[in-house]
Amino acid sequence: MLGELEQIVLLAVLRVGDAAYGVPVHDEIVRLARRDLALGTVYKTLSRLEEKGFVRSFEGDPTPQRGGRRTRCFAVTTAGRRSLESSLATLRRMAVGLDVGLEPT
Amino acid sequence: MSRPAPLPFRLLERFLPSSTADAVVGDLMERQLTGVRLWRETLVAIWHLRDRVPKEVELMSSFLSDLRLAARLLARAPTFTAAAVLTLGIAIGATVAIFSVANPVLIRPLPYRNADRVMVVWERDRDGSRSTVGFTTIRDYADRATTFERSAALGDWQPTLSEGNEPERLQGLRVSSTYFRTLGVQPALGRDFRADEDVPGAQRVVIIGYALWQRRFGGDPSIIGKPISIGGTPMPVVGVMPKGFDDVTAPGAQIWRILGYAVTDPYACRTCRHLRMIARLAPGVTVERAQTELTKIHKAIAAEHPEDYGSPDALVAPLQREVTLQYRPALLALGAAVALMLIIAIANMTNLQLARLVRRQEEFAIRTALGASAPRLARQLLTEALLIGVLGGLAGLAVAWAVIPALVRQLPPQLPRLGAIHLDLAALGVIGAIVVVLTVVVGLAPRRGRRVSNIADGLRAGRRLTGTPHSAVRAGLVVAELAFALMLLVGAGLLARSVIRLLDVDKGFDASNLLTLEFNAVGPRYDTNEAVFAYHDKVRDAVRALPGVLSVGVVNQLPLGGNIDMYGVEAQDKPESDPAKVPSGDRYVVSVDYLNTMRIRVVEGRAFTPAEERDTVNHVALVSQALATRLWPGESAIGKRIRMGGPERPFRTIIGVTGNVHHAGLDATQLKQFYVPERQWFGSDDQEMLVVRTQGSPTALAGAVRRAIQQIDPAQPIVKIAAMEDVVAASTAQRRLALTLFTCFALAALLLAVAGIYGVLAGNVAERTREIGLRAALGATPGNILQLVVGQGVRLAVIGLAVGLFGAFALTRSLRALLFGVGPNDPATIALATGVLLAAALAACLVPALRALRVDPSQAFRSD
Repeated sequence: MLGELEQIVLLAVLRVGDAAYGVPVHDEIVRLARRDLALGTVYKTLSRLEEKGFVRSFEGDPTPQRGGRRTRCFAVTTAGRRSLESSLATLRRMAVGLDVGLEPT
Repeated sequence: MSRPAPLPFRLLERFLPSSTADAVVGDLMERQLTGVRLWRETLVAIWHLRDRVPKEVELMSSFLSDLRLAARLLARAPTFTAAAVLTLGIAIGATVAIFSVANPVLIRPLPYRNADRVMVVWERDRDGSRSTVGFTTIRDYADRATTFERSAALGDWQPTLSEGNEPERLQGLRVSSTYFRTLGVQPALGRDFRADEDVPGAQRVVIIGYALWQRRFGGDPSIIGKPISIGGTPMPVVGVMPKGFDDVTAPGAQIWRILGYAVTDPYACRTCRHLRMIARLAPGVTVERAQTELTKIHKAIAAEHPEDYGSPDALVAPLQREVTLQYRPALLALGAAVALMLIIAIANMTNLQLARLVRRQEEFAIRTALGASAPRLARQLLTEALLIGVLGGLAGLAVAWAVIPALVRQLPPQLPRLGAIHLDLAALGVIGAIVVVLTVVVGLAPRRGRRVSNIADGLRAGRRLTGTPHSAVRAGLVVAELAFALMLLVGAGLLARSVIRLLDVDKGFDASNLLTLEFNAVGPRYDTNEAVFAYHDKVRDAVRALPGVLSVGVVNQLPLGGNIDMYGVEAQDKPESDPAKVPSGDRYVVSVDYLNTMRIRVVEGRAFTPAEERDTVNHVALVSQALATRLWPGESAIGKRIRMGGPERPFRTIIGVTGNVHHAGLDATQLKQFYVPERQWFGSDDQEMLVVRTQGSPTALAGAVRRAIQQIDPAQPIVKIAAMEDVVAASTAQRRLALTLFTCFALAALLLAVAGIYGVLAGNVAERTREIGLRAALGATPGNILQLVVGQGVRLAVIGLAVGLFGAFALTRSLRALLFGVGPNDPATIALATGVLLAAALAACLVPALRALRVDPSQAFRSD
């Protein structure tokens, strides 16, 4: 079972898609999760997920506004996707028949 | 990009793994955050993302990362690292080297069974000095003492091994049959001596040492029972001593022959004091009890034979103490010097660390601000200290490894247990650990209490106006270093003056252009005195015929050659009933040319004539001024008659008085001597010294002289060929060793102290740049600023020297035994040492002072 923050970050990476590095992932979280997480916290969660094998990371391209520094991009692995699905399924099963806004759609 | 990156980015790059740092810094730049938000992001990122590893391996791997960080930081401060490693290396190396020598020689029990029970027994003269003992006395002591389990007599013996075609002089002993059992050792091969062999007329059996057995007999076990030729006499080998057996009563001894005396032998008399005695205490007996008993026994024997004993007492003392007695002062003084070195080194380490700490305050403050805990910082410092300690220990190992063989070469070969000296790794470990721990403890102590308290201060450290609180500690350390350096310098100075004074002493002969060697006349061909004298004459004539040889003399013992051969001298006109009051003189049995070859002055009367050399009826002698004045104060000795060797010997007429010769050592005070022509002495000596006055360099003639002598009888070994000047120098070996080491220590201490002063002042100038700039801006002249810096250095130096003077008074007392012709508080030496240190201290002030002069006033107002 994934933690809440892990679910949020995994979902954010999935939403951003190809070039999911710190800034856009963070943006997604701020926009949809409405949480003012620090970038460091996001990276921290991502590296924990990477340790568990749920995401993998690779170096992206440097850009001038980054002072020439490379991005670090993340992608959700199959294991990550499966784990996320099972987490969300669990939540849904638990919520069946309850009015908590998690009804099956 | 000319502006350096903002601090948060620098911090991130410092504390995050580099790939993470790139990603995070890049993201933050993209976001263009500033101010509080930037700092928040930075601190959170560092908090979450600094190198973290699973709990189980965290400690180990954080140690490894500490180690890596420490290595990086040290590599970035090469001067500090080199200074610290060198300081530790010198201190540890020197201490280990001295300990490695002192431990087997002075401290570790002798490698014999219950070695602490083995005693040496002496007769004790009225002045408290030790005297060898006659055989009958030894027999009486042994028979009457109940506190001895066993005892033995021993006498020096230097036989010639004439096996094969290479005659060789050996170091040996003649011993009682109980000798090895008394020491607590037994032969590894064959058997020990038996009591029935220890009688006159019995077969002369020998036991040989392992090294000799290997070297001359190829380690052949069938040697047991076989006779070997000792000076032409066959003596059966009954045993071989174990490998590594080291006879401390005669260092280097390789052969032991049964003594075989009986109390009826003429040379066994009570006054024939040429033997030593060892005894093994019975179990549970203390040295004091044995001493009390022996004193009683000696007094009883002396009462029974009052004419034979001038000595009022006997002395029982542990063997180990006795054999190291004369080396103890030098080794202990060295120990004191080493201890001082060690203290200076630790002071210096502390100083270095404090100086470095000041420079690192900013770093620590930042790390504390970022949440590095105090224990974490302490662990980091500890790791650094350990790393330096290990490097210093390795340097110490190298120093000790290099120094010990050199040290052993410098030690006198008569020192017991020389062969047991080796690099003591256990000592290296212990001393290394102590030094490192002391360094760490001393270095951490002033740090406590100011850990996290003033981060803000720390961050502003670079712009500080006044000195740091450490400067008092550092100043104190420099004062201590200077004080110790002064003590060592004074010690070295006193020893140097002693050696110079010694070599300046009027020896009583001229050592320049003089070749000396020892030659023998042993074996059946030389069993009459006349055969020996004839051989001496032939040797003399053959060598004199060589080109480049001015004159040649023969003598039984060489001044400063390390022999003691003395006889009581009775004056015919002043009979003395108390044997203790008969003066003793060095015995010189000489050929007619000896005095002029040595250039010993004849101050009154005349030297021997060639006719007297062969006259065996009219006995003549020369005496030294000291002996003449002792026997006939205020009178002329010429024409007086003296007798040596007891009532059965003839009186000899004194025909001349010679200048005093230094025999026992350059510092000898015993200068009473007599000279007798060879054929007029009773009996011949089987070892003789040849002295050759040469035209040019004496050693250049050594080969020719050796060949000339060997042509006469190739079976006779020739040993100890040396220039007389080298013999003289060798007689001062112990002092010169102490001098060499003290000088090294003093120089090292001087260097460390100078480095210490420099460090403090340079640090101060660096910290006070702003203040100095301000002063300059407000109109301080270069003179004022110079005064500011140099004044501080001089103040430190003066206090250090003042403290050091008191220390020097204490230290030099322990050197007293090594000093000659100079008092322990010699003002000239102390003044010189003080001057040297003061000059060095001033020189150390110069560089920081000049740097202070170059401070640009505008620097004072520039912010970061």
